Amino acid sequence: MAYGGDAGGEAVAGRGHNAPCSNRDFDFFYRGLEAEQLLIQKCGGCGALRSLPTPACAECRSFDWQAVPVSGEGRIHSFVIHHYPPLPGFETPHPIAVVDLAEGVRLVAAMDGTAPDDLQVGAPVTAEFLRRGDVAAYRFRLS
Amino acid sequence: MADFANKTAIAGIGATEFSKNSGRSELRLAVEATLTALADAGIDPSEVDGMSSFTMDNNSEQEIFRAIGGRDLKFFTRIPQGGGGTCGPLQQAAMAISTGVANIVVCYRAMNERSEYRFGTPMSGLPPTSDNVVFAYHGFAGLMTPAAMIGMMMRRYMHETGATSRDFANYSVVARKHAATNPNAFFYGKPITVEDHQASRMIADPLRLLDCCQESDGGVAVVVVSAERARALRQKPVLIRAAAQGSPAGTLGLASFYRADISPRDECAAAARQLYETARMTPKDIQVAILYDHFGPTVLTSLEGYGFCARGEAKDFIKGGNIEVDGTLPVNTHGGQLGEAYIHGMNGVAEAVRQLRGQAVNQVAGVHNVLVSAGSGVPTSAAILGIDG
Repeated sequence: MAYGGDAGGEAVAGRGHNAPCSNRDFDFFYRGLEAEQLLIQKCGGCGALRSLPTPACAECRSFDWQAVPVSGEGRIHSFVIHHYPPLPGFETPHPIAVVDLAEGVRLVAAMDGTAPDDLQVGAPVTAEFLRRGDVAAYRFRLS
Repeated sequence: MADFANKTAIAGIGATEFSKNSGRSELRLAVEATLTALADAGIDPSEVDGMSSFTMDNNSEQEIFRAIGGRDLKFFTRIPQGGGGTCGPLQQAAMAISTGVANIVVCYRAMNERSEYRFGTPMSGLPPTSDNVVFAYHGFAGLMTPAAMIGMMMRRYMHETGATSRDFANYSVVARKHAATNPNAFFYGKPITVEDHQASRMIADPLRLLDCCQESDGGVAVVVVSAERARALRQKPVLIRAAAQGSPAGTLGLASFYRADISPRDECAAAARQLYETARMTPKDIQVAILYDHFGPTVLTSLEGYGFCARGEAKDFIKGGNIEVDGTLPVNTHGGQLGEAYIHGMNGVAEAVRQLRGQAVNQVAGVHNVLVSAGSGVPTSAAILGIDG
């Protein structure tokens, strides 16, 4: 499945996911989750991987990119336990983590479902897929 | 290097009271603060020809201008980044006045952020602007509040430096101690202990309730003029020695999670480099620091970013009493935003001016230069203010 930089040209109604606030730079990520794939951008010019979607490569300035699957394996770089206020779709308290992926890029992801006391910086984690209402989502759990 | 160093000055400051319910419109707060600042400076409101504020401020330049009886507004400009914008209007004013674009610039911030709406609430938004899609991408993970975003940054800092929640408590205790003797502070007469801090509930672990500033109603304005004009006015001129913005690579709005150091320190260091170069100073030349405390723990990273401590040493610097009124570098002598009020740092600018004029309630002796910072964890700004002699 290809999710190239021009893949968002279709109308928003047909963007292939239900994430509530996205644009044509981010749609590939949410579409990947619909297929239970964790995708990140790979530069078509220099091959650099980048996370937190953005339209151009900061290394070589190319607009050419592809979405490639990553392993979903990584380690906790940092985490926070959200207590207040309650957020829709999450039972408090719930953790969120910055994860250093094995591929060398970072993701920020939910870790609800993991007991807050079990978390520590450096702990190995694995991505898992779930749905939150009609939105395809993912989170990390301890490996 | 910026060439407006010492060419402009803050000639007047004004503020409303700080409360949880002002009982009047935000525009009225802005107009009251503006007129008070102009009266403090001894400048007729009809002379104002420039205005600068935050993009987040709900009060339009022209509406304030209409209410104060302005005649000819030539310069109006706004700074984004929420609390990261505090010193941006000062820089705008200094640039505008030193280049002849404007002569009398009012910098203002006024809000009923407690009584008319809530601040620091979960962030979400449409349409899909470049900022909103990033907030949504992180909100999708359950990371939606400023407290949680800063908490994420500070957890890593704790891991790297050994700082603990008790170290964060030590700052909160100092802020509330300073506020306790400031009649204008919301927490006047209400000091806290480390134990109070440790017993306060978790908001976004590692951040507790007493690490968080309080939503406030209130307004603050300052009047900037040329240094030459200021010397002819009634107050001691407070020179803008330097003012700078800082957003080094990887800095995002409450989302700098993809750069090497995710703690809210790099942006402070970026502003600091410019400030010290422009003012031709070092941290040793600063007698008082007003460091933005939307969340108290960021004072640790700001102390390091602005060069007052080496990396990881802020916790011991605070524990050693250095940031108290009688310490080597008194910090947030008004009580900070934890203790006085949260007016997006503009009340801290006013405190810097009072310290330099010798008019502060917790006055420090021999103050010649004060560093003021804006919110960190976002693209930021800062200034060095000073007096002659």
